[in-house]
Amino acid sequence: MNLSKEKVNGILIVTIEEKEANLSKADRFKELISEEINSGERQLIVSFKNVEYLDSSFLGALVGLLKILLPLNGKLVLTNLNADIENLFELTRLNKIFVIKTDLTAAMLDF
Amino acid sequence: MEDAPVRINLKIPKTPDEILDYIHQVIDALREKVKLEDATIRNIKLILIELVTNSIKHSNDDDALIQLSFSHPTLTIEKVDKGLQIEFTGDSHKIPFVDVNKTVMVNFSEQKRQHIKILDKYQFKFLDAYKEGISIELMPEHFGLYIITLASDSFIYQHDPKLQENRFIVNINLKP
Repeated sequence: MNLSKEKVNGILIVTIEEKEANLSKADRFKELISEEINSGERQLIVSFKNVEYLDSSFLGALVGLLKILLPLNGKLVLTNLNADIENLFELTRLNKIFVIKTDLTAAMLDF
Repeated sequence: MEDAPVRINLKIPKTPDEILDYIHQVIDALREKVKLEDATIRNIKLILIELVTNSIKHSNDDDALIQLSFSHPTLTIEKVDKGLQIEFTGDSHKIPFVDVNKTVMVNFSEQKRQHIKILDKYQFKFLDAYKEGISIELMPEHFGLYIITLASDSFIYQHDPKLQENRFIVNINLKP
């Protein structure tokens, strides 16, 4: 699971450096981000700018992370979703639960 | 729109990292034969991703197939594999069903709850369990079957006890 991480103004920006956010990467992604939360990160942006598709396993990992973050008064913003991934969030109505922004600038402004 | 029935049979990938190429191949093959709107293509991709993922996770059948066929106006995507029927956990419902025509909640695992309508002893239809909206408390972490239910017009499971065959049948009605 290739991720790049950058901290800007107290916000951890995680970019998924994979075309596929799927079954083979979901558990590791959840583990890596959980480690960041455990070490004190509460404001997170996850960028999907390199991701072509996202499956149910990865969606489950995102839901799991949100369930960890919300009771800690944390915030998770998702950005740069392509039309296929946006469709998945709309269809499952998870776009009402997750904060989704078109790009990094818009995501940063949400904090 | 072409009226002639079309069929596409492609072997299901064995690993998650082959899924993307597979989806591109299927969509390309389909587009050669059927005119599809972008929104429909997006839903077909979701359905294929989840059917293949389900197969990689749960099927031991090396000859499992996904077949696509189109007969105006319905596009049908079927996953067929050999094996025992679906078994539910933690409740009394099991195949062969007795409560035909009833809508019930079944558990595929602790976190995979799903509304189904029982169609006959060996067949049921997946229903949308979250019509009223989804909340953080209700959110499951395993969405595969739910995504297929939402992305299609009907999603039916059939088991053939004689052939020991499972069919997941997804129908999408294309706009004229």
